Amino acid sequence: MDCNRARELTLDFLRGTLPAGPAEEMRAHLAGCAACRAHLEAERALGEVLAAKLPRHEAPPALRRRLAADWPGAARARPVGRVRGFAVAATLAVVLAAAVGGTTAVVVEGRAQTRAVATEALNDHLRVLEGAPLAEVRGGLHEVKPWFGGRLDFAPALAFAGNADFPLQGGAVEPFLDRRAAIFVFKRRLHTATLFVVMADGLAFPRHLTTRTVRGFNLFLWRAGEQGYVLASDLSLPELGTLQKLIAAP
Amino acid sequence: MALTHADALYNLARWLVRDPDQAEELVQETYARALGAAHQFEAGSNLKAWLLRILRNTYLDERRRLRPEAADPDDVDAPSPATSGAAAADESQSAQIRALVADEVATAVAALPEGWRTAILLDLEGLSEAEMASVLGCAEGTVKSRLARARAALRERLAAHRP
Repeated sequence: MDCNRARELTLDFLRGTLPAGPAEEMRAHLAGCAACRAHLEAERALGEVLAAKLPRHEAPPALRRRLAADWPGAARARPVGRVRGFAVAATLAVVLAAAVGGTTAVVVEGRAQTRAVATEALNDHLRVLEGAPLAEVRGGLHEVKPWFGGRLDFAPALAFAGNADFPLQGGAVEPFLDRRAAIFVFKRRLHTATLFVVMADGLAFPRHLTTRTVRGFNLFLWRAGEQGYVLASDLSLPELGTLQKLIAAP
Repeated sequence: MALTHADALYNLARWLVRDPDQAEELVQETYARALGAAHQFEAGSNLKAWLLRILRNTYLDERRRLRPEAADPDDVDAPSPATSGAAAADESQSAQIRALVADEVATAVAALPEGWRTAILLDLEGLSEAEMASVLGCAEGTVKSRLARARAALRERLAAHRP
């Protein structure tokens, strides 16, 4: 590998999206080329600085209200109480998806029951994104986990406490189909990833790790012991896969 | 669901037109156009990318309307003397970049030509190269080179910054 090729591949290499062969060639080249190492470090610094320091302008509340008023179903989209607000947000999500897609666009293939699990997770994830106060307890795993005590009839099995790439934002308990789920919210740059942990008994969790794409969102579904896991986000599959591996690591 | 992307749209709008009121108008116009073109949205594709594409096209339409003489002012894909010098990164560059504060980073991003600035922002939004290509109206291969040029220009500006 020459320097020109190494420069072309730097960004993919940093993001972990290079296939194994080119990644190995890249490492070999970097080991012997100080200039390309410096370039890689400068690219890494730029990525970190942009993610951490570039201001992101949030839509002002007045703009959000005007947008909601202009969209179909808006009359039903006025959250009244907190609990009702969740239900209304979900209704709004479906109405808007129908308005934009012309259909509710069920693109999940496979068994209908697995689809129900994925859809439920996606709808809850959308509520997190809509700003519903799902993350009722904030902080690290040592603060979040004890909070679940008394609110769930099982102890969610999760060892991953978040890291610099995927900090844990908080947790919540929400109805999930016919039971209750522990919800953990992770961040990745500007993105949110929501992890659902439920007792899997009676739900159609796939036997092996399965990915789904629903309405543009990516989901991982898997089962470990008695508990089922769904991870939902608008992150790319490779990035979400990195988080999934961290969560599922024994 | 579409309102989920209001922040992403408003953020790009602010980086395009700067003025908060104009940015709000741009986002509202984007949603109005999206509603009118709902039948063109492909189910299962990325709604955020689709909305961002409408927003950028709306911005470009407006810019052409107001300044027809500057129809295509940013030829960002042509080699430019400023960035074709392989952006000599040395070991001090990453340290200089890390030492900057938010205002300095924002100023450098704001100074980029629109096509580069947008590429940087879409990348930060997590769009894939194919999605960025659809927003920018160019080939996927062009996205890669445009993003590389934009980042090289930004690194040079940031590393050269003196408080």
